[in-house]
Amino acid sequence: MIASIAFRNFKALRSTRVALAPFNLVIGPNGSGKTSLIEAVMRLKTLSKLPVAEGEPRQKSGGPEIEFTFNAPHDGLTARLGCISDSVCDTLRISPAHAPGWPALRADLGGLRSYALQHEAMAGGARRDDGAELSPSGHNLAAVLAHLRDAAPAEYAALTAELLRIVPEFVGLEVRERAGEVDFGLRLAEGGTVPADELSQGSLYLVAVLALAFDPEPPCVLCIEEIDRGFHPRSLREVRDALYRLSHPQAHGLSRRPVQIITTSHSPYFIDLFRDHPDEVIISEKHGRAAQFARLSDRADLADLLGGSTLGDLWFSGILGGVPEER
Amino acid sequence: MKLALLSESLVDETALRVLVAAVVGRPLKFASPGFRARGWPHVMQLLPAVLRHLHFNTDADALVVVADSDDTAVHTARHEAPGYFHPQCRLCQLRAVHRQTVKNLAPARGREQVLRAVGVAVPAIEAWYLCGREAAVTEAAWIEGRETGRAPYTRAQLKLRVYGTDRPSLPHAIACALREVERQRHDPRRLEHDFPGFAFLAADLRAVPNIH
Ligand SMILES: [Zn+2]
Repeated sequence: MIASIAFRNFKALRSTRVALAPFNLVIGPNGSGKTSLIEAVMRLKTLSKLPVAEGEPRQKSGGPEIEFTFNAPHDGLTARLGCISDSVCDTLRISPAHAPGWPALRADLGGLRSYALQHEAMAGGARRDDGAELSPSGHNLAAVLAHLRDAAPAEYAALTAELLRIVPEFVGLEVRERAGEVDFGLRLAEGGTVPADELSQGSLYLVAVLALAFDPEPPCVLCIEEIDRGFHPRSLREVRDALYRLSHPQAHGLSRRPVQIITTSHSPYFIDLFRDHPDEVIISEKHGRAAQFARLSDRADLADLLGGSTLGDLWFSGILGGVPEER
Repeated sequence: MKLALLSESLVDETALRVLVAAVVGRPLKFASPGFRARGWPHVMQLLPAVLRHLHFNTDADALVVVADSDDTAVHTARHEAPGYFHPQCRLCQLRAVHRQTVKNLAPARGREQVLRAVGVAVPAIEAWYLCGREAAVTEAAWIEGRETGRAPYTRAQLKLRVYGTDRPSLPHAIACALREVERQRHDPRRLEHDFPGFAFLAADLRAVPNIH
């Protein structure tokens, strides 16, 4: 989908370019541009809904600029965001101008989604008609589950089976409706149901990640911040698998088109899971006030380093970069 | 008779339980949940703590540990000589850590020490899974490849052959591993023959008193 993003003078991303794979795990210290990367993708979504700017850019030179390229069938098409400041990007230019592929690409970009899931938000109930697409915080999780149950029973059954496999202390997912309101809970093997607002944070995040993974109409790009949040380290493999279900559907026996994933994590245990796929890891590195991106697989000595350490420990140690600066 | 198992994933643990039972000839009780390490260096770091814990806090008789050799030296008959230790051989290293750890522990729970059952899969446990299905996948083939500078296969290729994808889900990986080790369930001799790194594990298991 998105092949690369080049940044100029956008927040800490003074001058850097990142090539994107189907799956992208971005690791680095706070303030190193992980969130800015996702923000840039969401600004592309917003501006793609507006008419494309024509003529010469009116921004003063040196202002923030973000340039996107795309994979086939939209290779050769470039989208450039022009910004007045770090917080206001107001023009989108495409080249070549009037590219015939733009309407189709624009439709895909309109469906981009970004998540910063919040367990407090997910624990509450929702309005039944607030379903179909999970909101950025996950606050309508109950409605999304109700919608999935009614509109896509096969996916709902698969989600439930996967959930109960991962948390075997539960034997059922219950979605209850009352006067336009909907909530959910997990049924215990020994009887009784734990309502969402009494579930562990990890269980809530798991239900939300599975709701995304089993979405019958997923977006073409999905960004999730702090994907490891709330999970026991031993459960992170399941979380990665759920995301791979989206980014590599063929590996899961699915024929739908891949969803490009951009996610972030601060967990060495999650990072460990990418030992065999260093091409999926992007390190964001901060030097003073400027940040840059680098692909882990570009590190020539990585195989030698991994002979004596885990990937997560290598990252924590500072050998790979992407650690906070110290005085 | 109770065994504990230290492995790198639930996939490995599930398959190893089958292989261990195949050697012993009967189902065994395993401490659950199994102990988990995050890759080779972590296995070595954890081993003393796992042994100490098992020795004083559990009734486990032996600890099963299996590591991948990756590109390190392969344990051969020469390493079996008394007092021999190859610093780049993971089997020698694991045995040494076991030996050094248990010799310093006072007897507990009616036993002298937690016994070892150590194996090393060359170059990765997926090679064991393919035993009996792909005749070209053997420890000897890997050693020859190392000597001639032409590896017969890569670890990634072995994984791909077992799982059919380089990104298997956990249940899919477990199902594939179980399907493959089914060939060894009633007779592990082929696996012992083709993979001496498994035969050393089997020998350790058979040396555990009252295991059969
Ligand atoms: Zn040796």
